[in-house]
Amino acid sequence: MADIRDRYDALVIGGGIAGMQAALDLGEQGFEVLLVERTPSIGGVMVGLNKVFPTLDCSSCICTPRMAESAHHPRIRLQTYTEVRRVDAVGTGFRVELDCKPRYLDEEACIGCDECELACPIEVPHEFDDGLGARRAIYIPHGNAIPQKAVLDVEHCIFCGKCERVCPTNCLDFTAQSRTVHVDVGAVIVATGFDILPMGAKPEYGGRLPNVMSPMAMERIQSSNGPYGRVLRPADGKIPRSIAYIQCAGSRDRSIGVPYCSRVCCMYALKQALLLRHYIHDVDVTLYYMDIRAFGKGYEQFYRRAVAEGVKVVKGKVARVTEAENFDLLLRVELLDEGGRVDEHRYDLVVLSQGLIPAWHADGIIDIEEDADGFVHTPEIKLNPSFTTMPGVFVGGVAAGPKDIPDAIVEAGEAAMAAANYLKRFRWRSRTPAAAVAV
Amino acid sequence: MFDATDSAASGSTPGVQAPRVGVFVCHCGGNISDVVDVKRVAEEAARMPDVVFTTTHMFHCSDPGQALIEQKIREHALTRVVVAACSPTLHQITFRRAVERAGLNQYLFEHVNIREHVSWVIEDKEAATAKASRLVRAAVNRARLLVPLDKRRIPIHPAALVIGGGVAGLMAARDLGDRGMKVTLIENRPFLGGRMAQLWNVFPTNEEARPLLSNLVRDVVKHPLITILTGAHVVNSEGVVGDFKTKIKIDARGVDERLTYPGNAIAACPEETISEFDFALSRRKAIYMPYPGCFPPIPAIDWHTCTKCGKCVAAVGGKGINLDAKSRELTLHSGVIILATGYDPYEPLLGEYGYGIFPKVITLQQLHRMLDPEGPTAGALPFDSNTPVRIGFLHCVGARQIDGVNAPQPDGKVKDYCARTCCTAAMHAAVALRERFPKSHITSFYQDMRTYGRGHEEYYEQASQQGVLFVRYSPWHPPRVDKDRTGKWPVVVRTNDLLTDGLPIEVPLDLLVLATGVVPHDISELVTMYSCAVGYDSFLLEVHPKLRPVELAVSGVFLAGCCQGPMDITEACSAASAAASKAAAMISQGQVEMDPFIASVDEEVCTGCQTCLTVCPYDAIVRDEARGLAIVSEALCTGCGTCAAACPSSAIQQAGFNDRQVRAEIDVLLGV
Repeated sequence: MADIRDRYDALVIGGGIAGMQAALDLGEQGFEVLLVERTPSIGGVMVGLNKVFPTLDCSSCICTPRMAESAHHPRIRLQTYTEVRRVDAVGTGFRVELDCKPRYLDEEACIGCDECELACPIEVPHEFDDGLGARRAIYIPHGNAIPQKAVLDVEHCIFCGKCERVCPTNCLDFTAQSRTVHVDVGAVIVATGFDILPMGAKPEYGGRLPNVMSPMAMERIQSSNGPYGRVLRPADGKIPRSIAYIQCAGSRDRSIGVPYCSRVCCMYALKQALLLRHYIHDVDVTLYYMDIRAFGKGYEQFYRRAVAEGVKVVKGKVARVTEAENFDLLLRVELLDEGGRVDEHRYDLVVLSQGLIPAWHADGIIDIEEDADGFVHTPEIKLNPSFTTMPGVFVGGVAAGPKDIPDAIVEAGEAAMAAANYLKRFRWRSRTPAAAVAV
Repeated sequence: MFDATDSAASGSTPGVQAPRVGVFVCHCGGNISDVVDVKRVAEEAARMPDVVFTTTHMFHCSDPGQALIEQKIREHALTRVVVAACSPTLHQITFRRAVERAGLNQYLFEHVNIREHVSWVIEDKEAATAKASRLVRAAVNRARLLVPLDKRRIPIHPAALVIGGGVAGLMAARDLGDRGMKVTLIENRPFLGGRMAQLWNVFPTNEEARPLLSNLVRDVVKHPLITILTGAHVVNSEGVVGDFKTKIKIDARGVDERLTYPGNAIAACPEETISEFDFALSRRKAIYMPYPGCFPPIPAIDWHTCTKCGKCVAAVGGKGINLDAKSRELTLHSGVIILATGYDPYEPLLGEYGYGIFPKVITLQQLHRMLDPEGPTAGALPFDSNTPVRIGFLHCVGARQIDGVNAPQPDGKVKDYCARTCCTAAMHAAVALRERFPKSHITSFYQDMRTYGRGHEEYYEQASQQGVLFVRYSPWHPPRVDKDRTGKWPVVVRTNDLLTDGLPIEVPLDLLVLATGVVPHDISELVTMYSCAVGYDSFLLEVHPKLRPVELAVSGVFLAGCCQGPMDITEACSAASAAASKAAAMISQGQVEMDPFIASVDEEVCTGCQTCLTVCPYDAIVRDEARGLAIVSEALCTGCGTCAAACPSSAIQQAGFNDRQVRAEIDVLLGV
């Protein structure tokens, strides 16, 4: 890969599905794009999902081709494992300072053969599997990662040198340093996505108990390339026979500072629950919800289907989750459709449908405003929903508030269009003639 | 024409190098391999002639999966590639690109669908594996006969046609215009603005709708690259991506800019009809303007109502009004088309929740017209601001309906989808009413409160804090709206409140507002013209909700806004800009690449019988009268194959699907 140039048309911050879509839309329109991702692989959250609602397509089948397209696109330059440190307006364009973190190996030379990973003696909980599986201290992020290059986790490395000895291209470099790079761009798209609310955010729901699970962990467990290869509960490897979902576990809840609806949890819970009905014969899956928000195209029909296929939905407010013997869980709930009767149920597994919070904050990096909820402020939300408070900086995907994959993809397209028109208006040109805007 | 040996490999002919086929079978992360024994499929394919390499992979569409294909093509000098995976609609392009990157012609690739056609529909593992194996072997046999083809490249006429002048259409036009592209925006009503113009105030910013809209209209109107045609209907469409020829009919407006005092003309008109703009809350004249500040800023004549009495003409001294104006037709050339045909609010059936029977049962759209200071009641509701007026909002009218519970619509179906916008819209209106009538009692009859968007939940919270009462009803037992037996109240809503243990309750009301759903605007003619896919919900169907969310299957036709499904204004604008982005990409590339699967006529064999001319649905075949032969127009041929199948002398062959290739596949499928 050629080294990073000093001038591009647009900077896209975040290599998840929204960032990739924005980059592809700009690239297809003839603009030169720098796509910066802070983790070692593009793909974002979506590449780790199992199947996606409402079509039940496998998530990888939608996401990985977009990743490949972004990687192979002649006008998109990927820059992974890199933080955007500062974006300053200069004229109509922007001066960008990047912090390219070291993988501790020569990225050009690494062929992704996995030898170093197999040789490494250190095992660390794997972020990609929400901590359920393990990875080594030197590792390729996951089977679908782009680029397929190893990265050394210097926090956990004991510098035993085993990886270096097996590397066929001799590409390891334990002395590598992070690199500061400056780039000029004409427009910026923020597509920094989200994190799932931490499991401990609502202590009464037992987020720290081994069989109380995050929705991402459930995605990974359900995935064919997941940590267990089948649905088992983490504490004892038992096949769960009864599973409860607690909806709005950290959304629509002022007490933990997340007053907004996270928009996707009803649907991902229904989808996971429906799939659980497929994966485990006669499993009891119950969703305790406030409102079922199946508002997207085909979602209401999906909701009906899930219920028809045996997913139970109960309007109820869960008070607390405690551990019973054998790691089972006791769930205390107020049944709102039964006059507020309080009931206790025992479950093998509980999934907290945790809300979405911003994964990144502009503070100190770009002078754009955020709302009280931490998502990027969009002052013209009705007609120009991708506009931020700074001309030339646009926002797409969940960075501008929770949304599902189709909405994020559409909004990323809109951000790309807005950026394209901004570049056009101020006649920004990246340096090479090939980059000249076609129209 | 073909003897039995002909369906065997061309490669077996002495002197011609045998093809080298590689077969790649995808697990699809378990989607396929949970049911199909992919290893066995690969092993059985390996026994086919000319197959030199087979393998399986967890995700062939991933980058490593694609890299493997490229690597094996080079390593084994493969000349044909067969990938057995998902539907070709999903990833045929993905694999063709991979094949091309490895230096092979992309049409030497064959895609086999063993997911939708096998693993998703067959439970029995043995039967599924047998079917998958046979499909793959058939594809191998066909692949052996594939020949390299070149893509067709069609130049794109650098202009766009946007159909629909609502907020989505305006937005798409503005974006393309700003991008430097020529746009024609057509609207079939006499005025721009669509449904947004009828709203009084919008969530979540509490802005007035029309000033917001006017800014956008102004940008579009003054844009040098955008042409606007109102009262314009699509009559006919010809051509394909790159060169659509759309014939439109433009209604006679009857009025032009020379009319300086439209008020005088309107006042003089003796003919009245109900105002569609005010949802029948008011009446308008035959010569009319829907609201002050509309665009175009001149009246239009509704010819169904006008009697041509001439009073308007007389009132303005004959200037600017022409009652004998004629409609005209013209043909627009465009490389791409954006459909932004919008929605209609659901019109409740007569008597549905008392609608049309009780005058105090209105729709949320009508409430918006009433609250509008420029509306039919000048913003007034028929209540004193000090009276403790009782108002109800009934959610999910014409939405989330259940077959057997709700009465079917004229098309025989129920509206089973969620209309997405009405919960927030109802809460937004409830909050506004509480502010205007502080002593009012407001009750919301709902199923699930779907205030999902950014800033939407706040209205729900505000409504709760302001004392709006929430009654949750079961969709299986929708509320009944009756008249009050005491005669004291205009209507009474009876239901069982799930939140109070199903207690039967009776809520007498002064006004019941039906939060009605969203149905697609009727565009059945366009649907036929462009062969649009339509979903069960009657909205236009995108190619794929995630991969190609704003595109129709017809190349070069894009979707913007509510013609695709319910959206709020924000979402419709996003969709419109996303569609503009795809259209801009297509136009800026200057040409579009098309599959080369077109028909060609073997002039030696053609008898000139004209059978093909009669079957071609695209008028792509003409007869060369001089030579008595059929000739295929490459630009118009879509490669449907109908002519090739119909030709009695097999003189027509379709590239990529010639008789030998198809027979080779069928032979294996039938076990010949």
